[in-house]
Amino acid sequence: MILTIAKHTFREAIRKKIVHLLIGLGIIIMAISPYIPTTDEPDAKVKMIFVVFFQVVALLCIIGIILLSASSLPNEIEDKTIYGLLSKPVSRLKIVVGKIAGFSALSALMVVVLGLINAAVIHRAALRLPQDYSGIVKARSEFWASQLSFQGDLHHSRQGIQWIEGGSTGVAVWHFSGLGNKGNGRLPFEAELALKIENSRGLDEAVPLTVRVENPATGLCKEQIVSALEDVPLTVRIDPQILQKSDAVNVSVFPIDKAHYVGATQGNVKLYLVQERFAFNYAKALAITFLKFVLIVAIGVMGSTYLSAPVNIAATFVVFLCGHVLDFAKDFSLLIQHSHAHEEVIPGDVERPHAFLVVLDYLVRKPLEWLSAILPDFKKFDSLEFLLKGIDIPWETVGFLFGYTALYAGVCLAISSLLFKKREFF
Amino acid sequence: MDTFAVRTEGLTKIYKDFWRRKSVSALTNLNVTIERGEIFGLLGPNGSGKTTTVKLLLGLLFPTSGKASVLGRPASDLMVKSKIGFLPEESYLYKFLNAEEILDFYARLFHIPREERRRRIDKLIGDVGLQPHRKRPLSQYSKGMQRRIGLAQAIINDPELVILDEPTSGLDPMGSCEIKELILRFKEQGKTVLLSSHLLADVQTICDRIAILNKGVLQVMGNVRDLLSKRDVIEFLVKSLPEDAIREVESFIKRNDGEVLSVKHPVSTLEELFVKVIQDSK
Ligand SMILES: Nc1ncnc2c1ncn2[C@@H]1O[C@H](COP(=O)(O)OP(=O)(O)OP(=O)(O)O)[C@@H](O)[C@H]1O
Ligand SMILES: [Mg+2]
Repeated sequence: MILTIAKHTFREAIRKKIVHLLIGLGIIIMAISPYIPTTDEPDAKVKMIFVVFFQVVALLCIIGIILLSASSLPNEIEDKTIYGLLSKPVSRLKIVVGKIAGFSALSALMVVVLGLINAAVIHRAALRLPQDYSGIVKARSEFWASQLSFQGDLHHSRQGIQWIEGGSTGVAVWHFSGLGNKGNGRLPFEAELALKIENSRGLDEAVPLTVRVENPATGLCKEQIVSALEDVPLTVRIDPQILQKSDAVNVSVFPIDKAHYVGATQGNVKLYLVQERFAFNYAKALAITFLKFVLIVAIGVMGSTYLSAPVNIAATFVVFLCGHVLDFAKDFSLLIQHSHAHEEVIPGDVERPHAFLVVLDYLVRKPLEWLSAILPDFKKFDSLEFLLKGIDIPWETVGFLFGYTALYAGVCLAISSLLFKKREFF
Repeated sequence: MDTFAVRTEGLTKIYKDFWRRKSVSALTNLNVTIERGEIFGLLGPNGSGKTTTVKLLLGLLFPTSGKASVLGRPASDLMVKSKIGFLPEESYLYKFLNAEEILDFYARLFHIPREERRRRIDKLIGDVGLQPHRKRPLSQYSKGMQRRIGLAQAIINDPELVILDEPTSGLDPMGSCEIKELILRFKEQGKTVLLSSHLLADVQTICDRIAILNKGVLQVMGNVRDLLSKRDVIEFLVKSLPEDAIREVESFIKRNDGEVLSVKHPVSTLEELFVKVIQDSK
């Protein structure tokens, strides 16, 4: 029964011109995405393809999905085809579930079809990647240091960053453990160093560092010298031999020359297990995108049990964009608070923020804050962030988002059912 | 089993506006009982509450007060709907489907198994005369064709009760004739039919009982023949009687204290002529 309505909804949607149009547009955009000018970095093209797909093409799909799912029931009510449904032995709840299922199927189709085409585009671009930059099409699992310690002298510590000086005075050591069975000496690990660098002779010069990777259990150790620049993360490959018989490793770093300084925090050296599972990771990213679509569908259909088509389309867009609007509102109030701060420092000297602005800020921000407390946060579904860093999307994230979607969709369904049950059809 | 197909008790519907203020009294205190197996006509001028009654029986609207039960269960009960067929006032159909697809969709909602579905769809499309158009999208259908497919979907589940809101609206005389025959066949199959109409000629020929509504209030209800028969008037229809004989009959009637109201050649109705012309042209 639900299946029948879902199929029907799906069939109606895919016979609409707008769906063909959006899919066509999506394909065109993907086709030109490798030719968009980017910076000279070799992996910039691939990154651009990711961004175009997960931001632009996905947004197009979302627009389509909102237009369709938010107007489907209102159109049935307007055209009175709903009489036909309701005079059949179909409960109203099943109609709502069927609609959600139908549009979810449409979302799945869009994500799979466009995602596969995009995969082909990525594959083509990835073939031209130099070996050193192929990290972007890998799926790396991230490990954070369990501890940061220092040997020798700490030069100074400022704003949570601890500095060591070169010339064999101090060494920063990041301890990693719990690398699990993965430390069987076969899988490749790499360390990413995003260190603070200071150079008394000027900023632009590269600073030579010694990086030592040591297995605390076996004492096996390997040292290499790298040159670091401020704001450019370094990737250091770790010899798999070292990791044998242990699931822990220590990474020590110190600048070679005096008058070179390295600023360390626990988070600025990370270990990555490099896996050739990009396709799988990409599939996870698509799955997350799909979940996001499903959530939008549930919200669109919920509104459509009560609102008219145009109002509901607008409302669904507002819900979808609310997160971004909230950011804007935060910036806005930050500006105002900024002028408040000034006021305290030099009273009377700086112009008071206009009372109107303060009120406006309050009127805009407060309701948005309340809203954002109940509305779903679509920024949680950001799979692009992982892909751009070549990080394997953790199963916890996928599971969490699945639960999040299920929970919200369930609440939407309950509300829809209540609203729709009470409704009369004139 | 309940012997009533439909029973309403004090059924009242007041349309309220957005602010829940009362605006229109569409139906007031309707008490009607429709027996199983009869053809019941709901008559009334435009805006008298016929469609409102039908919608209340289907649970599309909820009564302001009073009760409606259908096939022994409260209206809006889902169980009951598998035994009802409904043709709305106008043909509200999915325009992106064709005749086969729409019937298949509705049939699936009744869980009719695949083989049976195919059989019924074939038969119904033939019955309503849409065989040549079965693959055309409904958006290309004329009003009458839409009406026909609407009727087909109303009986796809072989219902016990068929509710038809102005079934012949938009149909040509041939079509309405066919529909009337179809309705009479429903009765033979033991189905109950509730039809609303303001085309009185249609109602007169097929309904067993009628109710007349005006401004939402029941005016008359009863057996069609009882309501219409004029007990003190007698009509003869005679073929090829000479002029003299007619005068003789007239004087005979006068001698017996009868009053001759009119003596004339009956005209055939336009409908009879129309049907004859179209049939001859085939
Ligand atoms: N949605 C509505 N809101 C307010 N009043 C309504 C609504 N629908 C119908 N009415 C009113 O209810 C009354 C009965 O309408 P209804 O549609 O039942 O009449 P009907 O007998 O079916 O007429 P018709 O022969 O024209 O189809 C009318 O006065 C109409 O104006
Ligand atoms: Mg009507």
